[in-house]
Amino acid sequence: MAQEALRPSLRPAARFRVPGVVLALPVYAFLFLFIVFPLWRLFLDAVTTEEGVLTLAFLRDFLSDRFYHRALLNSLLVAGGTVLGCTLLGFLAAFLLVRYEFPGRRLFSYLTILPIIMPPLVGIMGLVFVLGRAGTVNVILMDSFGLRRPVNFIYGWHGVLLAMILHYFPLVTLNVTDALSKLDASLEEAAEAMGATRLRKIRDIVLPLVTPGFISGTTLVFILAFADFATPLVVGVQNLIASQAYLNIVQFVDRRLFKMGIVIGALMAVLAIVFLLIARRIVSAREYAVLSYRAADRQTLRGPARWLAPLFFVAVLLLAFMPYLGVTLAAFGQAWSLTPFPEHWTLANLDQVIHLTPIFVLNTLRWSLLAVIIILAVGVPLGWVLARTTLPGRGLMDAIVTLVLALPGTAIGIAYIRAFHFPLPVIGVVLSRLWIIMPLVLAVRRMPYTVRATFASLLTVHRSMEESAASVGASGLRVFADITLPVIWRGVLAGALFSLMFALQEAAATILLVLPGWETMTVGIFTYYTSGTFGQAAALGFVLILICAATLFIIYRLTGARMGGLFGSGGG
Amino acid sequence: MRVRLDRVVKRFKALEALAGVSLVVEDGEFFTLLGPSGCGKTTTLRIIAGFYDPDEGVVYFDDVPQNGVPPAQRGIGIVFQNYALWPHMTVEGNVAYGLKLQRVPPAEISRRVTAVLEQVGLAGLERRTPGQLSGGQQQRVAVARALVLNPRVLLLDEPLSNLDAKVRARLRSEIRRLQQDLGITTVYVTHDQEEAMVLSDRIAVMNEGMVLQIGTPVELYEQPATLFVADFIGTSNLLPGDAVEARDGIVAVRTPAGVVRGTAIGALAPGMPVVVAVRPENVRLADGAGAETALPGTIVLTQYLGSLIRYEVEMAGGIIVRVDVGDPHRHTRLLPGHPVEVAFASRSAQVFARER
Repeated sequence: MAQEALRPSLRPAARFRVPGVVLALPVYAFLFLFIVFPLWRLFLDAVTTEEGVLTLAFLRDFLSDRFYHRALLNSLLVAGGTVLGCTLLGFLAAFLLVRYEFPGRRLFSYLTILPIIMPPLVGIMGLVFVLGRAGTVNVILMDSFGLRRPVNFIYGWHGVLLAMILHYFPLVTLNVTDALSKLDASLEEAAEAMGATRLRKIRDIVLPLVTPGFISGTTLVFILAFADFATPLVVGVQNLIASQAYLNIVQFVDRRLFKMGIVIGALMAVLAIVFLLIARRIVSAREYAVLSYRAADRQTLRGPARWLAPLFFVAVLLLAFMPYLGVTLAAFGQAWSLTPFPEHWTLANLDQVIHLTPIFVLNTLRWSLLAVIIILAVGVPLGWVLARTTLPGRGLMDAIVTLVLALPGTAIGIAYIRAFHFPLPVIGVVLSRLWIIMPLVLAVRRMPYTVRATFASLLTVHRSMEESAASVGASGLRVFADITLPVIWRGVLAGALFSLMFALQEAAATILLVLPGWETMTVGIFTYYTSGTFGQAAALGFVLILICAATLFIIYRLTGARMGGLFGSGGG
Repeated sequence: MRVRLDRVVKRFKALEALAGVSLVVEDGEFFTLLGPSGCGKTTTLRIIAGFYDPDEGVVYFDDVPQNGVPPAQRGIGIVFQNYALWPHMTVEGNVAYGLKLQRVPPAEISRRVTAVLEQVGLAGLERRTPGQLSGGQQQRVAVARALVLNPRVLLLDEPLSNLDAKVRARLRSEIRRLQQDLGITTVYVTHDQEEAMVLSDRIAVMNEGMVLQIGTPVELYEQPATLFVADFIGTSNLLPGDAVEARDGIVAVRTPAGVVRGTAIGALAPGMPVVVAVRPENVRLADGAGAETALPGTIVLTQYLGSLIRYEVEMAGGIIVRVDVGDPHRHTRLLPGHPVEVAFASRSAQVFARER
């Protein structure tokens, strides 16, 4: 009997063990083939002629072109302005939510996060419906207040800034909220006991300590705003570097312009890497492991401030949600024009996009779900490798995952066009002509959320839990199935759903790679909108919002809404 | 400086954290608030510091009421449980911060910072950041930061609870020596009764928002006023039973193990449910007869602790009595299973009323 019991524990030692790195190789290979290789190809293309001769001529062309100087400067200004606006809104919101108690605080803390989760393309379209020249607000102003000419709320730089700030400020709120709530109350009390005033406390203690969180939030905002081409195009701004990259690539007439598009794509990728490195530098120099014992007491607001705080949130959220209201109105409005709100209602638009031409919805679901399967197959093992092993190449993989989070979709799209336009060695297929490229590019773009969620979940499973299972004779796989998986599945699933949600919304890489028959909802929205079929564009937008909202709801139910860590550029 | 709390009440929503706390900390005294977690000791300290204002009652510093006075104007120095060092500042920056706030001239700042770091034994570490220090060093920085402003009273909130045993013992003596050198009034919060005994001039034992007893370590140990104090300070054998006879302050108690006698604490009458508390070192092993209350039992556990041997003796009714025998070398160690009789003098046992 006793000998029988001993036998299983002897077996593993006798068995041949596959080195871990061999098991990790497929994951490494995937990252190299679908991230490193296309990027390398993009960079190479920027400095070689069509014949494959190395040259700096294209770079020189770009650098000597005053138009591109201007565009680059504009892009930096827009990104900078967005960061500034997001900082003001995001900081105020975070401070109020963490430090004060006022009517509706809990509700606002949920709602404030939502804008970042809404599809940006739908947002800017909705903004036009509400604030455009013939939008709701202008019509009301002209009809009821005798205004002669419509106010230009959004066409131009101010519109770009407005749309971007309203969309991206939650990233700052999330990161600052996270940093603020980790501050131990005694750090401030110690300063208070020495006579520091409230402002002094904020300046000397609070701000330095939330800086890392703040920087990782704003870096992402800066990079995303810098790379966004769809928002400016919708409100008529073309003179931006990202918009130029897009316009140069989608035209197939002028080879020189096409090459410029590649150069800009490469430049955007390089800049994203540079911004990320700078941010990492700043963050790592100032990151302190502080154990929080006690969060600061929430102060109950009294007097006018008690109502100013909710008022602030109502105003910001109204502005942030207005576009989605506009889209909903347009989706159900029949021949809506020149009235503040639709006069007649219809289901025809919805019927059109769901029944008659369901291809957009179906494609989006198809590509996104396939992408999530790829993400799970690659991202979960990768998260495990990062959290649990000391395999060579871990640091590099970690860096690549963070990089992907920051790489502009435009740059990835262009890189894919260049890299997979030729027959691949050995297998000889041209990937860019196969539909699999759509889920592939989505998987690559959205993988970081799942990797990070897996990583974070695995950190909560203490090594000793697994070791104690192994000590009573469970095999490696058995330990994973019985101990690890039951603890991490929620976190992993939430990460995968985040990947899904942002895959559904992808409107950069896929727009560049799409071939007839592969169109996604975002492509549909873009096409309908630019061809003037607003009702159907709005209906597609409405459906997209619904799907995203449903996904988000499931995430909330799964995780209790802890998701700040998925959005920073510093961690991981 | 003398600190006095007069019937201080503090409520957090429905919870009454302090239910009328009164105490006096004399000038230059090392005074400890001791009790289990949630007893209100930290709340009391934070009320003295001024982070909370009492809902009722008054805090006096040298007979000047302090209610409503912000912490910075009370002249306190405080050390937090987790030290609360600012991780983005150097040791020097942490210690100098309060002086900068008071606009002390730079030359004097550097003189005072150097002096206080010298005092706590951290000279040479000025440029380090808290993350580069050991736990013990961080704790000293926190003490230095609290002392540099020459406070009238030093407040310490479980300052040693995050350190390992060796460092804790060393810092304990250092804190006491420093306090005596400076002669500074000190209020110390801890849940560790040994720490409280070693450090304090006087101790207030707290439970459930009330002060149960204030006294010197000797008084608390030898004359506990309540059952809680007897149990919380040191080790006590607790024998539940019923009072059968009370005369001249001595109560006879019928326990499942037999009838024992002890000193009555408070008014006790025959028939009342009581608990007899007696410390292991006051219990003797009696091999024969003759002691006033000798009860038979069997040794179930023998522990050799170096300076003493502790026996656990099982009595009738399943009651376990711990007996400490000092000087192990002059005593033949008895093994489990050995029948013995245990006995103690009635003046070294206390009898408390027990709630039904």
